Amino acid sequence: MSSLDRKLLRDLKVARYLIAGVVSIIAVGVMCFIYMSATHRNLDSAMRRYYTRSRMADFWVDLKKAPASEVDALAELNGILEVNARVQSYVAVDLDDEPAPINGLVLSLPDERKPIINDMVLKRGTYFTERRQDEVIVSDVFARHHGIGPGDKLHLILNGRRQELIVVGTSISCEFVYLVNPGSITPDPQHFGVFYLKKSFAEHAFDLSGAANQVLGRLTPEARGRPDAVIRRVESVLAPYGVLTTTLLRDHASNRFLSDEIRGLGVFATMMPLIFMGVAALVLNVSMVRLVEQQRTVIGTLKALGYSDHSLLSHFAKFGALTGLVGALIGMVLGYFMAELVTWNYGRFFEFPDLYNRLYPDTYAGGLAIGLTGSVVGSVLGARAVLELSPAQAMRPKSPARGGPVCIERATWLWRRLNFAWRLVMRTALRDRLRTAAGILATTTGAGLLVCSFILDEGLHHLINFQFEKITLSDVHLGFNDERGLAMLFEVARLPGVDRAEPVMNLACTFMHGPRQHRGSITGIESDAMLIVPRDRKGRSIPIPTVGLVMSRKMAELLDAEPGDTVTVVPIKGRRDELRVRVASLTESYIGTSVYADIRYLGFVIGETLAINGAQLKVDPRPTARNLLNRELKRLPALRSVSVRTDVIKNLNDTFVVTQEIFVSLLQFFAGIVFFCSLLTTSLVGLSQREREVANLLAMGFGKWQVGSLFLRESVLINSIGTATGLPLGYFISTLVAAQYDTELFRFPVVTSPGIFLKCIIMSLVFAATAHAVVQRNVNHLDWLGIIRASD
Amino acid sequence: MSVKTIPAVESMPLLKLESIGKTYRMGEVDIEILRGVSLEVFAGEFLVIVGPSGSGKTTLMNIMGGLDRASSGRIWFEGQDLSRASPKELTRYRRRAAGFVFQAYNLIPNLTARENVAVAVELSRTSLDIEEVLRLVGLADRMDHFPAQLSGGEQQRVAIARALAKNPQLLFCDEPTGALDFETGKKVLRLLIDLKSGLGKTILLITHNADIANTADRVIKIRSGEVTSVTSLADPKPPEEIAW
Repeated sequence: MSSLDRKLLRDLKVARYLIAGVVSIIAVGVMCFIYMSATHRNLDSAMRRYYTRSRMADFWVDLKKAPASEVDALAELNGILEVNARVQSYVAVDLDDEPAPINGLVLSLPDERKPIINDMVLKRGTYFTERRQDEVIVSDVFARHHGIGPGDKLHLILNGRRQELIVVGTSISCEFVYLVNPGSITPDPQHFGVFYLKKSFAEHAFDLSGAANQVLGRLTPEARGRPDAVIRRVESVLAPYGVLTTTLLRDHASNRFLSDEIRGLGVFATMMPLIFMGVAALVLNVSMVRLVEQQRTVIGTLKALGYSDHSLLSHFAKFGALTGLVGALIGMVLGYFMAELVTWNYGRFFEFPDLYNRLYPDTYAGGLAIGLTGSVVGSVLGARAVLELSPAQAMRPKSPARGGPVCIERATWLWRRLNFAWRLVMRTALRDRLRTAAGILATTTGAGLLVCSFILDEGLHHLINFQFEKITLSDVHLGFNDERGLAMLFEVARLPGVDRAEPVMNLACTFMHGPRQHRGSITGIESDAMLIVPRDRKGRSIPIPTVGLVMSRKMAELLDAEPGDTVTVVPIKGRRDELRVRVASLTESYIGTSVYADIRYLGFVIGETLAINGAQLKVDPRPTARNLLNRELKRLPALRSVSVRTDVIKNLNDTFVVTQEIFVSLLQFFAGIVFFCSLLTTSLVGLSQREREVANLLAMGFGKWQVGSLFLRESVLINSIGTATGLPLGYFISTLVAAQYDTELFRFPVVTSPGIFLKCIIMSLVFAATAHAVVQRNVNHLDWLGIIRASD
Repeated sequence: MSVKTIPAVESMPLLKLESIGKTYRMGEVDIEILRGVSLEVFAGEFLVIVGPSGSGKTTLMNIMGGLDRASSGRIWFEGQDLSRASPKELTRYRRRAAGFVFQAYNLIPNLTARENVAVAVELSRTSLDIEEVLRLVGLADRMDHFPAQLSGGEQQRVAIARALAKNPQLLFCDEPTGALDFETGKKVLRLLIDLKSGLGKTILLITHNADIANTADRVIKIRSGEVTSVTSLADPKPPEEIAW
């Protein structure tokens, strides 16, 4: 090892606290990049593999009943690669040990195993056998939740008949990676499952012999880019058989949830590391300027000895490289484990056959490159100024660039009131503008990220609170098989434990406004409804007008519509007349794209007398009352789905909220590191720059705490400015983050409160105090006498 | 100002300076440190440049050693024009031809005595053996000590060993005894003179101490940036006989 390299290692050891601060920031930035990139690729590659291997459908067409032969003929159409027909139906599930009603989706599979579209992956047991017709394969997550396995029996209500079935296996499917009950936003494996029956058995059970009520299709690669024309041809061929709905892959619920999540990760994988590495490069630059300044005489001597500028630049570049390397390596290891954790978390509600964390050499190489580049650039730029000096200049003490009064001294009314300590601090800060600016910028970034994390955390809780304490006030939501009359509402209202029942009519439709169109639904409720209450941003209730729609802000944005505009509504089922409806007002919600209307007005618009297909219930919370209600609901043949508010909140917490809380917690941790390390390095750099000054003050008789308080004042000054500018920056970053999460399924509310800013201020004071403790320790241990002797 | 130059050795000068001037910018002020300095340095001589503080002697040495550039005038080393040399050429000159001993020793604090000398040895293809050089300066048993563990005199000896280890033709010493006590300073002087006579090195020493000048072959006096006299000493005193 050369002498210069040996010197380098020992210099690193001497400056270890400073270097530790910079290494931490680099590690955080690299970790962020690695874990977000790796998780993004884990999910994306798992999705692509799964979809390819299982032949994921490009479209689904629900229809009343079509002969199998007609469906097969679709394969001849241009743009169609392959079609399958199957039977599908929503059913009630009767499990003996489960008091609450459970919903299910029945799908048919070929009696004998063969490759099909949306091919399922067996997890336990076997495919159907020839032994019995009444065999069933159950979705694996549902089976696990209910302790069901091969050989067990269960009952489904098929076409009004209670049917016993033998479980032969459990499976997962690419079309249910994110398995949600229609109308829900979170998986509920306790109350919703998928049940695969033999095609022959299902056709018989639902009176569809030789026919199907759902068509799946795959498009050719060319048609995938522009599927609409192909789909229109498919619909026109199937029109005689009563097309109900057509769903493209991009609108498929499971695919949308998954794709939105992957897309969001991809954006953050770029955005967040850039912020951290920018701060790291800045802090390292300032640190290197100071470290090189401290070695002016050594640099001059080495130059005098005959070391070239290039070799000395390499020496300091190595300094940055080693710092960056250590930071990057730590970041890579932490990033790997974070990717493991976050990928595992995604695996809890995204079901893949093979979702796991992989080592992506190019991602890790990228992380290493990011860490090294930022630190080498920072250190080389910091060292350049001194290296450009001649040996003689380098060996002379640096002459003060500025010796005159600073600008604030002109404010004599203020300047007179400052004691010598504050005057010293102000002059130092204003003369060394680079260090001061870098310190303020770094603490601003740290404070901004901290505020952003607090705002996002608050937003999460606000989202749940707003949706389930202000908008949705019912305890139970019922969905019926078909439209029913008011008699159904009265029947439900009389069920044991029901305190209040309100009718709901959900109309699935396509909204059109100018060139824009969007799939959604209108929820018809009574104008005086108390169990669903649309709200504005401030939480004030929005009355349901007798005419017109109350549209969620998100839907209005998607349609580019405003209150007063008229939109075209085309129901997906039944009569598909184009209906012109006015947007009366806008409402706020963070989940979904709700649109509301008066239930009677809705009935008038679609040309039907008052019809309902759901009900909102307020129920007695006591367990005995709940059990009684559940027992009666299980017996209701008209029931298609039951959604319990507490279950929805729990599922939301277990999935979306946990994922976001991991992100928010990490952001708080990162922000804390950046904030604290920025303060620490600025303070340590300040101390090292003024060692001689400190030694002189101590020699004059000032106490160590008095001298330390000078640096505390400086730290408080930089901290205060950084925190003050960080507060609005944090709000701005939050709006950027929220914009990334602005999808049809979720929106992140940006909610601020005085408590958030107070928390940030308190944390900034704690960080400043802790950083100062390190500085004070250095002051206490300073060999001031040695410094004075050396300067003599 | 014209000076009377009496060469100590009748030969081509190793170093030749012609009308050297130097101006520094200190903050917002320009300061003229040297004015029209012309002199010659011959191989194998012990040359002392003496003058009060602020007279420009360190600046003169820096220019002769290639540590700094003159603002005006010319300087040659063995016929090579250093005043027009590129930074790379000046680096090469310092690496091969010059060694430096500073008043404040300028040792690298994180390296041992041996390693401080090694820093210089790694640069030169014609370097001397590290341990040999450290033994020569009397530090055989202190090689693995850090500067903080050595006395002032010992640190200066390490600095001399480092300057010597490159085997340069010229040894520039800027107030080498300035930070040392009287007895130690005399020992260091003795070492330098022994190096000159034993190894044939050309030594240029700067001092404000007129007594030290009595040990030289030639003495150049400088005041206010100008050479006031150049004197050869027919009978330089040994360091043991001088006192300050």
